[in-house]
Amino acid sequence: MSSGHKKRNFQIEAFKHKVVVDPKYAEKTWKILDHAIHEIYNHNASGLSFEELYRNAYNMVLHKFGEKLYSGLVSTMTLHLQTMSKSIESAHGGLFLEELNTKWSDHNKALQMIRDILMYMDRTFIPSTHKTPVHELGLNLWRDNVIHSDKIQTRLLNTLLELILRERMGEVINRGLMRNIIKMLMDLGPSVYQDDFEKPFLEVSADFYRAESQEFIECSDCGDYLKKAERRLNEEIERVSHYLDAKSEAKITNVVEKEMVANHMLRLVHMDNSGLVKMLLDDKLEDLGRMYTLFKRVPIGLPTIRDVLTSHIRNTGKQLVTDPEKSKNPVEFVEALLDKKDKYDKIIASSFSNDKTFQNALSSSFEYFINLNPRSPEYISLFVDDKLRKGLKGVKEEDIEIMLDKVMMLFRYLQEKDVFEKYYKQHLAKRLLSGKTVSDDAERSLIVKLKTECGYQFTSKLEGMFTDMKTSQDTMQGFYSAHGGDLASGPTLVVQVLTTGSWPTQSSISCNLPSELLTLCEKFRSYYLGTHTGRRLSWQTNMGTADLRATFGNGQKYELNVSTYQMCVLMLFNNSDCLSYREIEQATEIISSDLKRCLQSLACVKGKNVLRKEPMSKEIGEDDVFSVNDKFTSKLRKVKIGTVVAQKESEPEKQETRQRVEEDRKPQIEAAVVRIMKSRRVLDHNNIIAEVTKQLQPRFLANPSEIKKRIESLIERDFLERDNVDRRLYRYLA
Amino acid sequence: MGVQKDRVKFNVGGRIFETTATTLANAGRNSLFGAMFDENWNLQSNPATTAAATEHFIDRNPDCFSILLDLLRTGELHIPTNIPEKLLYKEALFYGLSDHVRTARWGPFDGNRLHLARSVHGRAPGDGTAIRAGPDGGCCVAHGSMVHVYDWTLEEHPPINLDYQRVNDAIWVDSDNIVISACERLGRDEGGMGLFSTSNGELRYKFHVAHENQAKSYTGGALSFNQDYKLFSSCKGRSNEYGIGVWDQVTGNQVDFFYEPPGWSLGEADKLQWLHGTNCLLVATLFPRKDNCYIGLLDFRDKSMVWSWSDIGARITDERRVRDAIAMEETNSICVVNEYEDLGFMDLRRAGSIVRWSSRSRLMKGKMPDEPCYPKLALHEGQLFSSMNDSVSVFAGPDWVLTSRLRNSYGGSICDFSIGGDRLFALHSDENVFDIWETRAHSIV
Repeated sequence: MSSGHKKRNFQIEAFKHKVVVDPKYAEKTWKILDHAIHEIYNHNASGLSFEELYRNAYNMVLHKFGEKLYSGLVSTMTLHLQTMSKSIESAHGGLFLEELNTKWSDHNKALQMIRDILMYMDRTFIPSTHKTPVHELGLNLWRDNVIHSDKIQTRLLNTLLELILRERMGEVINRGLMRNIIKMLMDLGPSVYQDDFEKPFLEVSADFYRAESQEFIECSDCGDYLKKAERRLNEEIERVSHYLDAKSEAKITNVVEKEMVANHMLRLVHMDNSGLVKMLLDDKLEDLGRMYTLFKRVPIGLPTIRDVLTSHIRNTGKQLVTDPEKSKNPVEFVEALLDKKDKYDKIIASSFSNDKTFQNALSSSFEYFINLNPRSPEYISLFVDDKLRKGLKGVKEEDIEIMLDKVMMLFRYLQEKDVFEKYYKQHLAKRLLSGKTVSDDAERSLIVKLKTECGYQFTSKLEGMFTDMKTSQDTMQGFYSAHGGDLASGPTLVVQVLTTGSWPTQSSISCNLPSELLTLCEKFRSYYLGTHTGRRLSWQTNMGTADLRATFGNGQKYELNVSTYQMCVLMLFNNSDCLSYREIEQATEIISSDLKRCLQSLACVKGKNVLRKEPMSKEIGEDDVFSVNDKFTSKLRKVKIGTVVAQKESEPEKQETRQRVEEDRKPQIEAAVVRIMKSRRVLDHNNIIAEVTKQLQPRFLANPSEIKKRIESLIERDFLERDNVDRRLYRYLA
Repeated sequence: MGVQKDRVKFNVGGRIFETTATTLANAGRNSLFGAMFDENWNLQSNPATTAAATEHFIDRNPDCFSILLDLLRTGELHIPTNIPEKLLYKEALFYGLSDHVRTARWGPFDGNRLHLARSVHGRAPGDGTAIRAGPDGGCCVAHGSMVHVYDWTLEEHPPINLDYQRVNDAIWVDSDNIVISACERLGRDEGGMGLFSTSNGELRYKFHVAHENQAKSYTGGALSFNQDYKLFSSCKGRSNEYGIGVWDQVTGNQVDFFYEPPGWSLGEADKLQWLHGTNCLLVATLFPRKDNCYIGLLDFRDKSMVWSWSDIGARITDERRVRDAIAMEETNSICVVNEYEDLGFMDLRRAGSIVRWSSRSRLMKGKMPDEPCYPKLALHEGQLFSSMNDSVSVFAGPDWVLTSRLRNSYGGSICDFSIGGDRLFALHSDENVFDIWETRAHSIV
């Protein structure tokens, strides 16, 4: 603006005029710069004056010849690149890439120098006219005149692909050169790298691996094939790290994964004699791990493994639990289950990297087949019983915990947890009453585990049993300190007072106790009822034991450890030498099935036959006659006479337990129905079935028809009513 | 000892200068010296014997070279009065030292040490709407339908022409780009907002508002942007598009819209301010655009107004009327100002906050000029600025004590001011002029 006021200064205008008008000025200046560019490309720059060139370029821009300068640059550089292109084309065979690389580095160096000269243009003229900056221009011209020239473009691609193929076949190639050429393509922009190399490279690789995988799979087993695929994958990753763009890694591995893994997945998994099932059977941890890592890379890879794994575990598991041989021995049965679990836990941990979905598949498979055998709850309880009776002697505490944890894990899979509870209660009762339990700590620890798993309700009765045992000890102490003096001579009585409800009740048909004991028992009864008011005692003679001192014909003295029933029978022989079955039955009033078993164990077990039976036979008949076996001998002074008991439940007993379980379920189902209806007020049939099932799931799987029966019963008792309009709806009656 | 091996001799326009390659290296690779001494150019061949003897001729002004050489030596710029600044800038551009000159030209901003560096006249006819400081020392002035853009040398670039629509606000997104919001013109799909190049004034792209998947014409109001390249603007559409629009600055696509809640005003907001700490946007709609004042903090993550204040229902006197507002995150408060330049404060942490006025200047009453400009507020690194009539006050410290007052006797009331690029720009309403205030560069002594 200020110059506007100084228009009188003609000198300046005249001076400006002179320079701008001179038509040869621009031509001359460009000649100098053009010559310099030639010299730079001809490696002859040492004679150039940087200052002069810089100033000339500056002046051209200043005097508005920027356009001429720029277009001159484009055409001169194009000319040189075309010459370079010719020389690269004429390079023979292997020298082609070398020549390209040399020319590329020449061009780069020249470009840098040209940019130095034209720095002023780059900074001012180019941004204001939105032209391409010199460096980028140089790259673009190289791309168009060299890389995209007819005779170079396909040759370059083929050469690169050929070299990679040769490397895949095991040859050593010049990786440094490869890196430089690929780097050049990357420098020219992501689209050049992708279109001129990456896309065809991926296509050719796909063809290569498609053919190779076809060949491999025909002649290798699954394990070998996976090894090869893994090696190929690592090779490609290594190749990317050596001379390709890091972004290509995902793409090329994708190709290998698709061609070598995804396309052959099912065939690999199901290969005869080497597929997944075989690997599982043979515990091929390494092969399994390889399969996992490879399959993990492709879509639906892991589900494919998981499905086969699941069906294999289910099938073998089903065979296991339905095998009648295995069912004969509950301990072996459970041990087989635990072994199976250990095996697959190990496989999942070491080969399948502890994949959660695999763990879930394993759990659901176990849940599936364990419940196929309705006796699983019983067997698991028996296994615990066996371990806690004898199996834990001399075992370290940690191992006990581990064993218990494993049992808990199986327990978790059970649908009918209430059935387990029933059996567990029976078995625990037997252990406690017979004083057979090995470790009190282990017992309590398992109860704590059950409690954390199923809640207080589940274990309250079990805990009650322990409390009863403790209270009984105190009661006995009190009894003997009260009656100590007058009991000294007679037999010793130990009573365990069991709370009804906490213990598995059995129809208590009392037998006749020998008179020596009867008075003692009466004394205890009056003592106990004297200290506790409002209680009722009934004798569970079917559950007791007794220690008897017996003297046999030859004067040999033995201590016999027998059940209460057996004691009652033996005591009869104090008064008579010979008794018939009927006489015994009459005197003791033991129910016949128990009496037969009891006599069987006294008379028919070799080495423990303190009684003699006429006639000699294995079975007890109604007409048999018994007498004391005078010739009884034993190496031990203490003889334990067991009762012939089926360890497993016999069929009728099983039925009975089953029935009791079903009876117990009824109030639970009803309670669940009422709870749900109380909060919902109105609900339709299907929903109520679903909700009840869900609520009871932690304890057992409720049978829909049973739920329906319970609902009907509740309707009868006016807890619920059917909706008048929609019969499928139930209403809660408060 | 011997001769220093990296000595360099220049002959600039007939004067001999001697310096070292180390000093020249301060110029960086992207300068004439950087290129000149690159190994590609064999200027340093035979260094031991002849380097000191060979002189490099440069056909330029020796006085300017001397200043720039000192700049490379000391990092400080001293322009003697006999050298025109423009000439020096041209020379710096030749050597590729423009950035060096700019950073040495003035020091880091300090509101208490400002001096009036320049006044630029005659560029803003009529009432100026707004002045906005750019990130590297430039600025733009909006008036009517034109936006004039100045670089740091205060050279004017081609102006941005909004095709006869009134400009409402402008904001620099970086040193090359400005977003401008303008009024909608009825009957034409114009108005709204656009991103413009600062170097040639060309429109790069427009920001559209879509309502129910249909592009709507709208008036763009106050602007703000955040660190995630999101651009915010108050929008006033034809029908339902009242509220705050959000766009991606890079792609220009609309990414969100905060519709105006009933009984509240967002679409005509006078001021938007992004709060980095709380990730919220302050929206203030003030008198006289509306009869009442509305200030709210919007959280776009769950589309809620997390804090709000309004004077609806209160008995409003001139002393209680809020004329501008600014959030101060360090103290969790919002500062407001009335037309007598009394500051008031509100607590951001408490809902339903009331304004605590600190009445300082009742004296102003009755002394108002004929054409008053209402106070505006700005915050810069713990200093609070407020414009009032023909001066800008600077407040600092925990109690916001007045520490400085900037005043130029010429130009009349200040209608807008802006701080950025370590400069303060003030636009006057009476005369056609704006002022540039700078802090002097530190000298090490």
